[in-house]
Amino acid sequence: MKKSSSSFSGGWKSLIVFTVLLLAWLCGFASRLFAVIRFESIIHEFDPWFNYRATAYMVEHGFYNFLNWFDERAWYPLGRIVGGTVYPGLMITSGSIHYVLHLLNIPIHIRDICVFLAPIFSGLTAISTYLLTKELWNTGAGLFAACFIAIVPGYISRSVAGSYDNEGIAIFALQFTYYLWVKSVKTGSVFWASLTALSYFYMVSAWGGYVFIINLIPLHVCTLLLMGRYSNRLFTSYTVFCILGLLFSMQIPFVGFQPIRTSEHMAALGAFILILVIGGLKHMQSILSKAEFKYFFIVTSLVAAGTVFFGVVVLTYAGVIAPWSGRFYSLWDTGYAKIHIPIIASVSEHQPTTWFSFFFDLHILVTTFPVGLWYCIKNVNDERVFVVLYALSAVYFAGVMVRLMLTLTPVVCILSGIAFSRLLEIFLKDEETPSNGDSDSEQETSPSRTLYDKAGKLRKMKHEQIKETEGLGANVRSFIIVGVLAMLLMFAVHCTWVTSNAYSSPSIVLSTYSQDGSRQILDDFREAYYWLSQNTDSDARVMSWWDYGYQIAGMANRTTLVDNNTWNNSHIALVGKAMSSTEPKAYEIMKSLDVDYVLVIFGGVIGYSGDDINKFLWMVRIAEGEHPKDIRESDYFTDKGEFRVDAEGSPVLLNCLMYKLSYYRFGELQLDFRSPAGYDRTRNVVIGNKDFDLTYLEEAYTTEHWLVRVYRVKKEDEFNRPRIPVSKRKIRPSDVFISKKTSRRKKGLIKNRPVVVKGKRPVKS
Amino acid sequence: MEYLFTLPYLLLEPPNLKMKKPSWLQQPSAMTMYALVLLSYFMVTGGIIYDVIIEPPSVGSTTDEHGHSRPVAFLPYRVNGQYIMEGLASSFLFTLGGLGFIILDHTHNPTTPKLNRILLIAVGFLCIIVSFIACWVFMRMKLPGYLRA
Repeated sequence: MKKSSSSFSGGWKSLIVFTVLLLAWLCGFASRLFAVIRFESIIHEFDPWFNYRATAYMVEHGFYNFLNWFDERAWYPLGRIVGGTVYPGLMITSGSIHYVLHLLNIPIHIRDICVFLAPIFSGLTAISTYLLTKELWNTGAGLFAACFIAIVPGYISRSVAGSYDNEGIAIFALQFTYYLWVKSVKTGSVFWASLTALSYFYMVSAWGGYVFIINLIPLHVCTLLLMGRYSNRLFTSYTVFCILGLLFSMQIPFVGFQPIRTSEHMAALGAFILILVIGGLKHMQSILSKAEFKYFFIVTSLVAAGTVFFGVVVLTYAGVIAPWSGRFYSLWDTGYAKIHIPIIASVSEHQPTTWFSFFFDLHILVTTFPVGLWYCIKNVNDERVFVVLYALSAVYFAGVMVRLMLTLTPVVCILSGIAFSRLLEIFLKDEETPSNGDSDSEQETSPSRTLYDKAGKLRKMKHEQIKETEGLGANVRSFIIVGVLAMLLMFAVHCTWVTSNAYSSPSIVLSTYSQDGSRQILDDFREAYYWLSQNTDSDARVMSWWDYGYQIAGMANRTTLVDNNTWNNSHIALVGKAMSSTEPKAYEIMKSLDVDYVLVIFGGVIGYSGDDINKFLWMVRIAEGEHPKDIRESDYFTDKGEFRVDAEGSPVLLNCLMYKLSYYRFGELQLDFRSPAGYDRTRNVVIGNKDFDLTYLEEAYTTEHWLVRVYRVKKEDEFNRPRIPVSKRKIRPSDVFISKKTSRRKKGLIKNRPVVVKGKRPVKS
Repeated sequence: MEYLFTLPYLLLEPPNLKMKKPSWLQQPSAMTMYALVLLSYFMVTGGIIYDVIIEPPSVGSTTDEHGHSRPVAFLPYRVNGQYIMEGLASSFLFTLGGLGFIILDHTHNPTTPKLNRILLIAVGFLCIIVSFIACWVFMRMKLPGYLRA
């Protein structure tokens, strides 16, 4: 890690700042490239495939066609209005980069822009984190924070090359909005507040997490009011931000009128009214006498509180204000999702966080986070209240959902930057003897004094340091410095290791290590999708669990029934029901949905644990939520309440469609000599139902490692014919009649006209 | 203008109440706040929310080759799972490390004598090192391949 606090004149200082930020950008960019180097420049995972497809569509057809795009290949037979249901910021960002590069005659494929967008934006995130920390503390802490955020795994997890997702640019927008907000609170100028609103607009266009901003800033305002820190600067910046921000956010088609209608945004409006009332009161206080003001205050506050309260209640009751959405409830009432919305709880990144994730994603920063918080609380001012609130809310949200570690990570970097910079200030700065270090330390504290309006404490600290120089030996100090630097070194090692091992797998290309240490690439997913795109009709409809919807649409370019945009729960439940019913019942559902192919993911051969059998209970749960009469979760467990696929498993499970499609002809396969035939390596059991045949479907394609299996749904005339033994089969002559008429002989007569004898089979000659 | 404010009081007679702000209700000091914050941080990083929702056992158990059941403190290989005790132990270590850094900061207080200062530095640094190494060991128990290529 780089140290920052320079004791040179201004030019040197900005050079060092520039160099460190540039290096942080380069390091961050380089460490996100593991996946590209190991595999190829490819889009990862699930959601990025949709974003990529949408971006490609926008680049090809233009922005307005993109906004009006009705995608009939998703959610068959419903379709999806893409323009109105996406946050378009991501597509617009990469689309405009593509546009500019092509204007400059740099021919680059849109896919490469999509792949490298997140690593490039990580550098911008580092810079905006630097700016924010600089506003909160000083330049040194800012540089530390920028270096931390460049390589911290909690952020890398969402921004490796190829993970082309909203979060990649949204964290930059988040940090930048907060920087501008802090700046506008400090200056109280309309200019900065408008810039905050603009940056907020970009954030709204990029990610649904903008709700975090629009609740955190009002919280900051309210806390400042409670602490009695009302000022005209706060009044100006908040009112400007609130009005402009709400207006801007309503320009995004997907957001629409939500900012004035949903409960998530009510906090912002409430704080707006509150700050207006307080501003008015302060004004009245200055013109009225004390006694008058007392009456005035009581009457107005009662009237205002009553009006606001009843207004909100009546509007909510009348349905003008929508109540909180389910995803939002699950943040507060932690058991809510488990009971009411299985589709939210089924996503692994919505699980609550364990201690492991905290340490894995943040490493040493998890211990320095409370230290930075301590400094901020000890030397509190307006903008530090903000960072404290940011930290507290982010910690809570990160505890509820693994996914929200992402919003915690930037604030952890900020606070750790403050902690480390303070520590080095204490132990490094007064290394020299007082007479020597006089001029140096003078210059060092002076810039931070200009940046930060409470200089009194800092100056006191300088006196203390000079005294301390006499008290503490240089040995002790250098010992501690070396220790801390070693720890930072370990942090960097940890980050690289985690990035390389945990966060750089594209998850559509799997890799394993064979026993001699060489890397094997399993490319089954793309093999299957390519097969689909080459061997099926272009309007064929593929049924799969929703995880694979975007990939099928993006790579195979086929119509899907459900995909990762889980907006229609009942449609997903229908697919879940088909997967968990028996074959004849599933056929009814598949027929009604016009399914041509069914795709399942099966990891039993290679021991891939993320396959459909392991996800199966969620399909059952989601189906049970909509069809409680037909599907019951308890049927799929054994009497002891276990979920197992071996001979002791429940018969309902062993006969459902998903089981059959996964294990079709698996009983004949012996993987190696030590294990019996039909041994499932993922669940380490011999499967229970080996001998079965499919009536309504037939195997169409199975990839090399059996990872993806595609089945064709038979048409109705293909399976309900009685089976005739081979010996009794008669070959009917073809009905094809080749006309021998020419243009000259128009009239003709029928040769060998068959004579139908009633009551007998027509016997052919 | 005065009539405007006094208008309601022509009809209503304000009751002669003496509302006193209760003495305990005051803005809490910064350090009280910080103690609360640190406590909640301790709980959240220990995965209290996970414990409440998933309800894992406090300590796991396994059966060894002789058929005796032995307690297991750590749920190995499961990144998204934990036992209650391991979560608390590791969040204790996180907090310990944080306190170590705060103690180090206290060493530049001018009134502390030199010996105390050395002791404070030793204690603080020890806290950091202990928490760092113990977290390392925990990671190894959780993920045996940790930091090996």
